[in-house]
Amino acid sequence: MTAFRTHLEFLRKTDDCCSLERPDSPSPQVLASEALRAAGPAVRLTAADDRVNLVSGVYGGTDQLSRQERYPWTRLGIGLGVDRDPEYVDVLETIAELGERVDERDVTYVERAATATGRTVRELGFPTPPGETWPHVTLGLLSVGTDEGTYWTPIHGTVIDKNTVRARVPNTITERFARGETVTIALGVPSEALAATHLLTVTDRLSTPIEDRRVGSTVPVIPTAGGVVPSSAEVVLEANMADKQPDTRSEKRAFWEHLIEGTTLTLEVDSAFARDDAVVPFTPLGVPLADDLQLAGLTLAAQLYDRVNSYWGVSPVEWLLLPAVGRLGICVVSTEVLYAGFEWQLSNFLFSFSDCFDTVVLVDEDVSPQNLGRVLGDIWVKAHPARDWLFSEPDAPVARLPTYSRDDTGSRLYVDATWDPRWDEAYIAPRVSITESYPPTLRAAIQGSWAEFGFDGDLDDVL
Amino acid sequence: MAAESFRAFLDVLAEADAITRITDEVSWDLEASAITMLANETDDKIPVFESVQSRCRETAARLVGDPYRGPQHRPWEWFGRAFDLPVDSGPAYYEGMIDRLSEPVEPQVVSDVEAPCKEVVRTGADASLLEFPWPYIHQGDGGRYATLATVVAPDPDSEWGSWSRHRAMIHDDSQASLLFLAGEQVPNRYYFEYERNDEPMPVALTIGAGPAIESTAEVWIPVGRSEVSFAGGLQQSPVELVDCETNDLAVPASAEIVIEGRVMPEERLDEGPFGDYFGYMNGPRRSMPVLEVDAITHRKQPYIPFCVEGSGVGYGENSTSTFALAAGGPDATLGLRVAGFDVELAVPWPFTSRTVWVIATERPYPGSLHELANFIFTTWGMLHIDFFVFVDSDVNPLSPRAVIEAIALHADPATDFHQFGVERMPKVPLNIYQTPDEKGSASVGTSKTKTAKAYIDARADGDRLPQSIGDRASREQARDLLAQAGVPESAFEPPHTIEPDQ
Repeated sequence: MTAFRTHLEFLRKTDDCCSLERPDSPSPQVLASEALRAAGPAVRLTAADDRVNLVSGVYGGTDQLSRQERYPWTRLGIGLGVDRDPEYVDVLETIAELGERVDERDVTYVERAATATGRTVRELGFPTPPGETWPHVTLGLLSVGTDEGTYWTPIHGTVIDKNTVRARVPNTITERFARGETVTIALGVPSEALAATHLLTVTDRLSTPIEDRRVGSTVPVIPTAGGVVPSSAEVVLEANMADKQPDTRSEKRAFWEHLIEGTTLTLEVDSAFARDDAVVPFTPLGVPLADDLQLAGLTLAAQLYDRVNSYWGVSPVEWLLLPAVGRLGICVVSTEVLYAGFEWQLSNFLFSFSDCFDTVVLVDEDVSPQNLGRVLGDIWVKAHPARDWLFSEPDAPVARLPTYSRDDTGSRLYVDATWDPRWDEAYIAPRVSITESYPPTLRAAIQGSWAEFGFDGDLDDVL
Repeated sequence: MAAESFRAFLDVLAEADAITRITDEVSWDLEASAITMLANETDDKIPVFESVQSRCRETAARLVGDPYRGPQHRPWEWFGRAFDLPVDSGPAYYEGMIDRLSEPVEPQVVSDVEAPCKEVVRTGADASLLEFPWPYIHQGDGGRYATLATVVAPDPDSEWGSWSRHRAMIHDDSQASLLFLAGEQVPNRYYFEYERNDEPMPVALTIGAGPAIESTAEVWIPVGRSEVSFAGGLQQSPVELVDCETNDLAVPASAEIVIEGRVMPEERLDEGPFGDYFGYMNGPRRSMPVLEVDAITHRKQPYIPFCVEGSGVGYGENSTSTFALAAGGPDATLGLRVAGFDVELAVPWPFTSRTVWVIATERPYPGSLHELANFIFTTWGMLHIDFFVFVDSDVNPLSPRAVIEAIALHADPATDFHQFGVERMPKVPLNIYQTPDEKGSASVGTSKTKTAKAYIDARADGDRLPQSIGDRASREQARDLLAQAGVPESAFEPPHTIEPDQ
């Protein structure tokens, strides 16, 4: 388990987190949004006063539209403790494992790192988006205790008064409020906790307490007035339901709200706890590559990857990606085509298990998930425009994420950019690439002379 | 002042610290190409191979690997510098190119003594292709290639002939096979006029003709006009031409090498396999028309620029992909506007630049997108392009992020994907989605089997999702702060939308 601040330290050591003094202007959300525009590093904003420190871009940050050393899963993978340079599939499997059921509860209780603070929630200094009045809390974890155990959900909201938060949470969590009306918000939690929260919220619809899932035995926790929360959380807010709940909503949606129904709660914070020099993650909502979008994409991909490889008795799928640049409206899957027609079966399996997208792109098993650039070429050059762009009749349910206007039904499309399994081996065109077009002795010799030739870059990633 | 020769272009690159001169002896046999491909993939400097093994000692020719390849963030940058055009903004560069292409400048003929390409003149049996270190580019290629060759051919409608780019596979000292694909103007003239009349077609292959000529040789221009006058427009000065030794054609005086010859009727030689611009080795080996060499003139110690085809797909850039984006795109935009279409920008898709193009346009009337796609598919886009993606007129087609989002969110599989019939259209046999049997070896160089063409309407039906927050001033303030923290300014390019001031 990696505490949030340790996660940030790892990002700093890998030159993937830059630091700035928190400016009065522009708004931190604008800074974060522009950093995402640049597919840049995570940005830490250090406060010189009593306000908490902020950091954006912790769970994704990058796109894959140019050759880069970091990928959309790198930062989350580091937080999950996968590796300093995590493989994509390892990240997916780690996320999926956090959501697995365990036979016996094995919860570790550790003292809370945050201590009571006399500051109000408003005084903690959460960032205010441009053009808005109230500070915004994002990437939070809501803990609700019940007799069966604790449920975690994502939460975001606005701080509308000194200690009042108008929050958005999944609608299903309201069914767990039977024990009372006290809940806890944790901010700056380990990646395991936040990723599992998204996974279980989207896939499990909060049917099982976290103690019965692997995350419950992975992340050390501490009981609070709500349910248990990660002990290392940077900020912990214990809150009661306000007497009067709003009947309308006005906040921007976090990305998980595109996938499941949300509801608005007004919470009165009774007790606030913060670590020394607390640092909390935040994200602008609704912009490309935002952290909430990346978390949703990675957890959805983990779920689908797990399902497709658990279904046919074998594991034909190498990887599955919902590119954040497409705002999860397209699914790319790398697979072995087991038999003629498998490509149809796999595509439609994915349509059955996710209503997010209506387009699936299949690529061959030798395509690396790191090389989205190759996918964005292969779609057009390997898939025959007449034979391999395959549409269903327009009687399928609409997908959630595309924004075009249409009636209740539409078509689904899969693009088969794999080699036709019926083709003779001789028909398969060899790739042009440094490894396939040149002998290894030549490549090694060039690598040895690269700097001497006057080149600036490093060949480690391509050789 | 614009770079008017290949050597002046190298000076532009050197000034930008964009080349490395490699003085160690390097082999033409895969080594120069492997180094170039690695530089292309990693966005590193352009290699100039000053010493090439196995060359003719007297000629002492040198190689330059993908000299026209632009930086991955700004593929147009070296052309912008060479032509003294804006480089900070892609749309502004496009508009600058369009202005230049709109004002052609006629060439002028100079004497032999004023023509560097006549420093060495060899005719008849003294002219040998094997004097030069043509690179063997990929394992599995059918032979050694001249890949950045501008072919000058007769054109009854144009005083200065027709200029286009065709690769040549070297067979021996006097013969090469030329990739002539029917559907393109020069090949059409050969297949359907000269060969039918059993006449050889005189041609001149120019190597190292410089950025303006090589750019215009890539583009589609109106019948009756000559590419060389558009090259003059790009460089804002007349291109200097010189008469050939053995035919009536005129060639660029500043060229590094000029190969004069005839494309013989009813003669064919193998061409390919070759690692092609799709990023794959295409097959099968084809029969292509034969160039019979009559004379070779060249500069002393000439440079031979070459392109490592196949390395301009995915994240990589090479000369071909840069030509497509930096020359083909502006030319197509201009051509469509002249044809009456309300097009903001037409841009090749950077991950595979000849197969799919993105066009930012309004839809002024029902059916207009069909008409626009139909116009291109039946003219300059016939053989290579399979898809067009239409985006809103203010969406920047130079931004892959914007285009992917448009396809993912705005293209309805039920109503926005349109095909022009099923497998009725011609296709280059270089493709990889047809089997070798389907491609065959048709006598005029297109696949035996036809293909389909399609367009995708990825324009938004209503409001688009936000791309940023805050007003312009606060966003610029944010960028300044991020730049201070080490985020390079180029990382913010290209913008999602075409800004009004671009």
